[in-house]
Amino acid sequence: MAEFVSRISVVCFAASYLVALACEASRLLFRSGIRGAVMVGFAAAGVVAHTLFIVWRAANEQSVPLSSAYDWYLLAAWVLACGSLWLTIANPRTPIGLFMLPLVLGLIGAAQLSSPVPFPQSPATQVWGAIHGSFNLAASVAVAFGAIAGMMWLIQAGRLARKQAPAQGFRMPSLEKLARFTGRSASTAAWTAAAGFASGLVLNAVNRQQGLLETVPWNDPVILRMGALVAWLVIAALLERAAAHRADGPRTAAILSLISLGVLTGSILWGLFGASRHGAPPRLAAPAGRIDFVEGEEPR
Amino acid sequence: MTLAFAGGSHRTVPMDLRERLAFSAEQAAEALRRFRERFPGREGVLLSTCNRVEFYAAGENDAVPPAPGQLVDFLAECRGIDAAILKPVLAGEHDDAAVHHLFAVASGLDSMVLGEPQIVAQVKQAWALAQEHHTAGPLTGEMFQAALRTAKRVATETAIGRERLSIPSVAVADFARGVFERFDDKRVLLVGAGKMAHETLRYLREAGARDVIVVNRSAARAEDLAGRLGVRAGRFADLTEELVKADLVVSTTGATEPVVTLEMFATAQQRRGGRPLLILDLAVPRDFDPRIGARSGVWLYSIDDLGAACEANRKSRQREMPGALAIVDEETKRFMGDLHHRSSAPLIEQLRAGWTETGEGELDRLFRRLPGLDDAARAEIRQSFQRYAAKLLHSPLTSLRNESHSGPPHGLLDALRRLFDLKD
Repeated sequence: MAEFVSRISVVCFAASYLVALACEASRLLFRSGIRGAVMVGFAAAGVVAHTLFIVWRAANEQSVPLSSAYDWYLLAAWVLACGSLWLTIANPRTPIGLFMLPLVLGLIGAAQLSSPVPFPQSPATQVWGAIHGSFNLAASVAVAFGAIAGMMWLIQAGRLARKQAPAQGFRMPSLEKLARFTGRSASTAAWTAAAGFASGLVLNAVNRQQGLLETVPWNDPVILRMGALVAWLVIAALLERAAAHRADGPRTAAILSLISLGVLTGSILWGLFGASRHGAPPRLAAPAGRIDFVEGEEPR
Repeated sequence: MTLAFAGGSHRTVPMDLRERLAFSAEQAAEALRRFRERFPGREGVLLSTCNRVEFYAAGENDAVPPAPGQLVDFLAECRGIDAAILKPVLAGEHDDAAVHHLFAVASGLDSMVLGEPQIVAQVKQAWALAQEHHTAGPLTGEMFQAALRTAKRVATETAIGRERLSIPSVAVADFARGVFERFDDKRVLLVGAGKMAHETLRYLREAGARDVIVVNRSAARAEDLAGRLGVRAGRFADLTEELVKADLVVSTTGATEPVVTLEMFATAQQRRGGRPLLILDLAVPRDFDPRIGARSGVWLYSIDDLGAACEANRKSRQREMPGALAIVDEETKRFMGDLHHRSSAPLIEQLRAGWTETGEGELDRLFRRLPGLDDAARAEIRQSFQRYAAKLLHSPLTSLRNESHSGPPHGLLDALRRLFDLKD
């Protein structure tokens, strides 16, 4: 069993998600009695392989989920994949995967471009590091769900405005449900991103105090991009709240959610290709026994 | 001939004649009783709906079912109609054509509203009635089971019955449900008392709508309608106020000018707190100024908009027709193959029995010559004999089954009879 699990690679679950996505896309072209089962089967196989991969890494790579940028992206992709599978089973006539699986695959692609080397850790920073990573993960997932709901709202509203019956295999949830989901996602994204940013500042302060990691300077790109993201998400949540009692409120919320996804994507790309001291080991050696990190490639 | 049917539907039989030909439950029971007496040993099922009357008959070997012409005479006699009037408008088929027809009927492909699902229940009822009156049998049983299976396949593998076709059902299922997730917390405002409003309200209630208020220019009419529908009546003078409170409006007045102008609506919308409003303007001429539909948060549908959606759905059903017919063809072929194969069963049984008897005789002889064999060895040898016989029979039986798909395998059966000296 252990040997089997150790052979699972990113390609295994990425390919499963890709097949599930192809099945989902084929809804628009033709009907099939078994497509739903095939699609759910591949998506479920992908989630199982993805889960085993993460568990295996946590158990054997001396790292826990969120301990490196690579693991963070894979965990974010896993949360979205689980959400996609659950929503697909709960709403078989709605092409949820068509919207969610590209984001899952995008995050897996981002993982491939990021460093798998765990951030240096110590007992003092591990907790704050986990809190920081978890809030950022929650914020990203909330932005993704909100944007998907917003996109669906715009598609559904467009269909209703054109006075067309729903297209075969492309039935969207109601505007009421989508608007509610978009609004909740916007506020969740705002406060979790703010909490993630704040916990990052605390983590930086702990590092500075104890000399565990390289202190991230205030003008470091990671602080700038995360600060910009948090600022935008808070503004978007406030704008969404302000528009809630206007007739065009749901449309405003849908557009804001898509902009939030764009800002998040930009932030991720900036993180992938920009230089930063985020999560880097100290330039000077720390006191012996206080740092527990894997030597080797320096994280980006 | 094993299976036959005769009957007519909305396609060929004029409505006045269909009304005379239709059977009530008691008349159908009486017809089946009469069939049993007239055609003993034959199976019969009567399918009578508001759009069709069809009689299916079946029989095997000497009990050949009545020919389609005889069935027409029988139907005419049962309903007291001159057969000469019925013959030009009723059709008849036998064997695979009859099976194909039943499968298409059960799948809703021959219905007035293409793909309508009620026919499945009516086919089930017809079969149950025949069972109750002992005119059903194994042949019609298999045929009707296969028909229901075909209908299920058509329903799941094609979208032929999926889209709605009536204006009220499209209004609620395709548009109201697209805007609102639930209706039990929504306020429905009925303006006017048109017939379409009743039907739309029925669908809305099925969707969960509870809070309904009706307004009409005539207060007495509004009270009367509210009483009949079990809803509250409001004052027509408070229409603007009701528009502020409503989430969904169904309007069917007979007014010649718009009842709700753009200015009147703008006043109401300012006080709505941004809540979306769905308006189903089912009146001709329209009750709501069409410019209202361009405002944010308003989803306005006129009867023409909904009619266009119905027409699109109707065309969508038509596009599914080739796929549905392919399923009916496939199931008919499979059913007839099984039926033809069934006819070879007695001969196969004879062949098996003959081989088993010969084998047993040889085994007895062998065991007498080898008295030292214990029970385990004897059982092993017996099993070997049985496996050998089964393997030898496999090829001819497979050939028989394959041949059955293209009709009764008379040639092969005759060859088997002659080769192995089998009797009919």
